[in-house]
Amino acid sequence: MTEQHTPGAQAPSGIWDIHQTVGRRSLILAAAGAIIGLAIAGYGLFTAQGTRTANVPAEDAALVNNIPLLRADLIAQISALYSVPYAKASQAQKQKVLQDMIREELYVQRGVEMGLSNDDIDVRQALVQATEGQIAQDAMTAKPSEDELATWYNAHRGRYASEGMMTIHDWTVPAGADARQTVMRLRAGASPATLGLKSTGRTDDGEEFYFAAEEHLGKSIFAIARGMVDGAVSDPIRAPDGVHIVQMVHNRKPVQTPYAKAHDQVLNDFLANKVARLQDGNRRFLQKRADIKIASDLQ
Amino acid sequence: MYVTVWIRAGDGKDLDGSGRVSQAMSVMTATSTLAAAFRSRPLLPALALLLVLTALLGSCVWKRSEQAAVLRADPEAILADERLRKVALAGGKPVYQHYCAACHGADGKGDQTLGVPDLTDDDHLYGTGTVSQIEDIARYGIRAHNKRGWNLAVMPAYAHKIPDAAEPLPPQTPAQINDLTQYLLSFTGRATDPAAVKRGPETYSKAGCWDCHGRDLGGDPAIGAPTLTDNIWLYGGTADDIRRTISRGRAGISPAFARTLTPAQLRDVAVYVASLAPTAQDSK
Repeated sequence: MTEQHTPGAQAPSGIWDIHQTVGRRSLILAAAGAIIGLAIAGYGLFTAQGTRTANVPAEDAALVNNIPLLRADLIAQISALYSVPYAKASQAQKQKVLQDMIREELYVQRGVEMGLSNDDIDVRQALVQATEGQIAQDAMTAKPSEDELATWYNAHRGRYASEGMMTIHDWTVPAGADARQTVMRLRAGASPATLGLKSTGRTDDGEEFYFAAEEHLGKSIFAIARGMVDGAVSDPIRAPDGVHIVQMVHNRKPVQTPYAKAHDQVLNDFLANKVARLQDGNRRFLQKRADIKIASDLQ
Repeated sequence: MYVTVWIRAGDGKDLDGSGRVSQAMSVMTATSTLAAAFRSRPLLPALALLLVLTALLGSCVWKRSEQAAVLRADPEAILADERLRKVALAGGKPVYQHYCAACHGADGKGDQTLGVPDLTDDDHLYGTGTVSQIEDIARYGIRAHNKRGWNLAVMPAYAHKIPDAAEPLPPQTPAQINDLTQYLLSFTGRATDPAAVKRGPETYSKAGCWDCHGRDLGGDPAIGAPTLTDNIWLYGGTADDIRRTISRGRAGISPAFARTLTPAQLRDVAVYVASLAPTAQDSK
């Protein structure tokens, strides 16, 4: 349905007739626009975080030279210091904690003014750690996708194997005995006692993890032992403390942990790697951005 | 000037009956009247615009004042106050869904494969589940590289040469790890090796477990050490799960959102998360 003005109808008049050019209307609209714009800008200016100066923002307990002290931090500190819920803390307790926080903030600001970040080694270390920590925090706020984690797991499968375990006998060959003959007789079924073999005592506690066996046997003997199958007797192994013979009782090699079981570890490793990459990227960016001049003899 | 009015009837069909045409005509007349009013009173549109803007501004100010009340309130009192609760939950739910649900699940039930706790029970790993503690975790995280976060302890990996880089602890043998596993299973009546259970307390003591979990195995919420005598398991409670936890260690993380979320969002989401857990009243 339509409504149509007949050609003879009276045309709208006044400043709001859009078919006429009216200077006053333009001025009114421009003024209205300016007022609205200023109102929005003012609202943003006086309410955006870090720009509020008129009063203490709702989330803050105080402003110290416009640096906010979070109300949540005050509550946490009161609870930690007095072991009472915030509601049950006395006004004096609240004041004490708040004054301590203000004092700390004042000293931090004064320290910055004095350039302590240039002079004090503890401040410098803390700043370095805090900056690195900040990068890490930012990296951790987004959870990686399952695809990313699965790809990581597949590329680093070795990390997600269980620790191997072994039960092993470790004997030393008596002085003067023929080590080769001893080994042959052991393999033929002779008992160690009849051959005069003495246990070193280092692996007598039963099954142990590979890392412990390596610690007990030493690197060279462990390297031989970890490749042995159950029941196998090694060749004589020369070591600084004499000739050793080892017999594998039970060798449980590392087993791959399924992705589902290693999920938490995969996530941690993935994030640790992401953090390391971001920190390295940040270092390169800072280096690239900085104006670094190195003495000619040190270049 | 042409004005075309299309009215869709309740049944979704376009107008075609005579009765409906008269209805359309009356709407058209009203529109014409409004247009005429605007022509005769040139300031009317500006006034209408001003009213709309005032309403919008008022709505913004009202919402801000409501949110400010949530921020200024004692965090633990918000859930009990109907007005504050409504504001905080309305603000907290979308924040939770956007930032937390990826790990904790849309329903807050957690994920045992990642050691993400169930937020809907009344068992709390860190602290006692107060709004301020939850807000603290959301802001500074757990092992999230923020020094104000909860970073004091990790579960050592006892099947490693150095179980914990921060504290000298003795590695355990497979048999000792089995003793500990059986000992922990015994508290829920699931142990299968009585001899191992008997050796458990001594192994527990020598391995240094008591340092975090306590002599009574009751845990320590100040460092996120869970109680070991109940049947609530962060990473699963089968014998294999427990053995793996003791052998490989655990160190779950919760990100620090201090720079990502505003204080209002942090407060709201903390209230929302607290609301997921049963209250003392619910438990009764």
